[in-house]
Amino acid sequence: MKENNKKIGKIFLWIVLVIVAIIQLFPLIWLVDFSLGSSNEMFTNGLLIIPEKIRWDNYVKAFVDGNFLHYLRNSFLINTLAVLLVVIISIMAAFACQRMNWKLKGLVSTLLVMGMMIPIHATLLPNYKIYSMLHLTDTIWALLIPYVAFSLPQGMFLMTGFIQSIPKELEEAAVMDGCGIYRIVFQIVTPLLKPSIATVAIMTFLNNWNEFMMASTYLSTPAWKTLPFSVLEFTGEYSSNYAVQFAVMALTAAPAVIVYVILNKHITKGVAMGAVKG
Amino acid sequence: MKKKIIASLLTAAMAVSLLAGCSKSNSSTEVSNDAQNTAQESAAEGDEAASETAVASGEAVTIKLFSNLPDRKNGQGLVEQMIIDEYMAENPNVTIEVEALDEEAYKTKFKAYAMDGMPDVVSIWGQPAFLDEVLDAGVLAELNEADYADYGFIAGSLEGFKKDGKLYGLPRNTDIMLIYYNQKMFDDNGWKVPATYDELMSLCADIKAAGITPIAMDGGDGWPMACFLTDILVRVAGTDYAEIVRNAVATGNFSAPEMQEATQILVDSAAAGMFQVGYDSQDYGTTMNLFTNGQAAMYCMGSWDCSMALNEDIAPEIRDNIRAFTMPVVDGGKAGTNDIAAWNGGGYAVSADSAVKEEAIRFLNYMYQPDKLSKYGWENGVGMSAQDQTAYLTGNETELQKQVMDILKNATSVSGTPINDCGPSAFKTAIESEIQGVSNGSTSVDDFLAAIGAACE
Repeated sequence: MKENNKKIGKIFLWIVLVIVAIIQLFPLIWLVDFSLGSSNEMFTNGLLIIPEKIRWDNYVKAFVDGNFLHYLRNSFLINTLAVLLVVIISIMAAFACQRMNWKLKGLVSTLLVMGMMIPIHATLLPNYKIYSMLHLTDTIWALLIPYVAFSLPQGMFLMTGFIQSIPKELEEAAVMDGCGIYRIVFQIVTPLLKPSIATVAIMTFLNNWNEFMMASTYLSTPAWKTLPFSVLEFTGEYSSNYAVQFAVMALTAAPAVIVYVILNKHITKGVAMGAVKG
Repeated sequence: MKKKIIASLLTAAMAVSLLAGCSKSNSSTEVSNDAQNTAQESAAEGDEAASETAVASGEAVTIKLFSNLPDRKNGQGLVEQMIIDEYMAENPNVTIEVEALDEEAYKTKFKAYAMDGMPDVVSIWGQPAFLDEVLDAGVLAELNEADYADYGFIAGSLEGFKKDGKLYGLPRNTDIMLIYYNQKMFDDNGWKVPATYDELMSLCADIKAAGITPIAMDGGDGWPMACFLTDILVRVAGTDYAEIVRNAVATGNFSAPEMQEATQILVDSAAAGMFQVGYDSQDYGTTMNLFTNGQAAMYCMGSWDCSMALNEDIAPEIRDNIRAFTMPVVDGGKAGTNDIAAWNGGGYAVSADSAVKEEAIRFLNYMYQPDKLSKYGWENGVGMSAQDQTAYLTGNETELQKQVMDILKNATSVSGTPINDCGPSAFKTAIESEIQGVSNGSTSVDDFLAAIGAACE
C-alpha cells in the first residue's frame, strides 16, 4: 500500500515537472521555429508554424546585414568585463562591510545596497549629461560604468549574505598562520563563495546582455554597439522584418542560454544559501 | 496606473532637462575611429570622377545624421541611404555618419542630444506634440523659406514646421488616412464600397455575418485608433476640425458637440463588432496580416501601407486586389467626400549649433531636390511625398497608388495633424492610452473626454 502511494506520488511529481519543463522550454522552441519561417507565415492562428520552406537565409541576413559578429564581440567584451568587475568589487566590498570593523561600514553597505532602488530610466538623461561632459559617450566606458554600477547592489547583497555564513574561525586560523588581509579575501574566502559568485555572475550577465535603453542613449556610432542593436537593423518605420528579427534574437539568446547551462549547477545553491541567511 | 505616473514624471523631468540643457551651446564633435566609417571615407575619397560642386573646397567635412529609420535596406530607410551615398559620391570631401534608432528610442535620445550637442541633421515630426518643446528649446536652425519656392512642396505642407512664421524643418511625406479593402472579396460577396457611414455600418454587419472580420484595427498601439477618431471627427466637423481641436487643447475642454459625436460613433462602431476580436490588444503587424492573409475584409491605416501592393511576401491574389477608400461621410456631418484626413508628418531639420551648419543645410536641400526623396520614395512605393510628384509617374503604378493619388488630387481640404499629435506629449500619452478604454466600453465618452482634457493642463 505504502509502495503504491509512493509510486503515485512519483508519477504525479514527474507530470508536474514535465509540464514545468515544457512551459520553460516553449519560448525557446517558439523562437527557433519562427526564425526559420517567413515574415508572413508568422501571423497564423497556430502556436507553432511549419515553414513552407526552411529559410536559413534569415540567419545569413542576420549575420551579414545585422552586423552580428561586430556586435557580438562588443557584447562579449563589455559583459565579461562587467561581470569580472562586479564580482571582484562585490566580494571586496562585502568582506569589508561584513568582517572588518570601521566607523562607517554600516552606512556604506546600506548606501551600496540602496542602489537597488534606483530605476535605470531616471538616471538616463543626467548620466548622459555627465558622460558627455567627460567625453565618455560613445566609448566602452559609457556602458561599462552603468552596467557595473547597476549590478553591484544586487551582487553586494548576495555576497554579504553568503559571507555571513562562512565561519569566522576559518579566517582566524588563517591569521594565526600568518595570512595577510588580501590573502584571506582571495585565497581563503573567495573559494568558499563559488556558488554565490556563479549567481552574481549569471545575474549580471543576463541583465546586461539584453540591455538596450542605456546602450541606445549613450552610444551613437557602431563602434561599441551591442547585440540588441542587431534587432533594430530590421525595424522599419511602420513594419518590420520579423523573421530575421527572430533569427537575430535566437542568435542573441544562444550565448545567454549557454552561460546559464554552464553556471546553472551553482546558481540555485547560491541563491538559496546566500539570500536567506539574515 | 503606476506606469502612467512614472511616464508622466519622466516626461516632466525630460522637459525640464531639455530646457535647462539648452542655455549653453557646446557641440562636441568627437572623431570615432570606427572601421566602418573609415571604410566609408575611403570609398568616398576613392571616387575621383565625382562631379565638382559649388563648395568642393577640399576640406573634409563630417555631417552627422540622426535618423528614425533603422532599417537601411528597405522602404524609407533605403531611400534615405541611397541619397546619402549619392551625396558622398558627388562630394568626396563630405562624410555622412548615420545614427538610426526607432521611434521611442529615437525620441528619448533626441532629448539627451538636445541637452548637449545635437547631430547636424535630424529627423523631426511636424506636430505640436513633438515640435513645440523642441522649438522652445531653440535647438533647430531656421531655414530660409524663400529658398524652397521651386521645390514643389504641396501647399500648406510646410505649416506644421513653422513657428511664428519662421521655418524650421521640411516635411518628408504626405500621409492620408485610408480604409484598404479586398476588391476580390467584395466582388465575390456582392459588397459595395460604402458612401455613408451608415452604409459602412451595415456593410460591416454583412461581412461579420459571413464570418469574416470587417475591419482590421491596430488598437494595441493607440495611435492608429486616434487617427481613426481623427478621420471620423473630420467627417463630423469638416474644415472646422483643426479649429475645434486647437481650442480644445488650449482650454483643456473637449466637450464640444463634434468631439462627443465623433467619439460616440467610434464607440458604437466598436460595440457593433466593426473590428476584430481583441483589436484593443493587437499590434501593427498582427493587424496588417489579418488583412493580407484574407482574414479581414478591410484594414484601416495610413497611405504609407500602399507598399502592400508591391510586397512579394503577400499572396498575389490578395496583393493585386488591394484597393482603398476614404472614410465615408457621416449623416449631418459638415464634410464632403473630398475633405480628407491627411497630414505631413515626418521630416528633417538642421541643428542650430551645428559646427557645419552651412554644409548640413546644403545636404538637406540636396535631399529635397525634387528628383531625390520624392522621386525615389515614389519608385520604392514608400508612400506619397510632400512634394509635387506628377513629374515621375511611370505609368507602371499599381492601381492602389493611382487611387490614392486621385484621392489626394481631388481633395478639397486636408485636415492637418491628427488629434493625438495636436497637444503636449502628456496629452498624446493620455489619448493613446485612454482611447482603448472608451472604444471597448470600459470608460464612458464623458470620462474619456474629461481625461484627455485634463492631460492638456
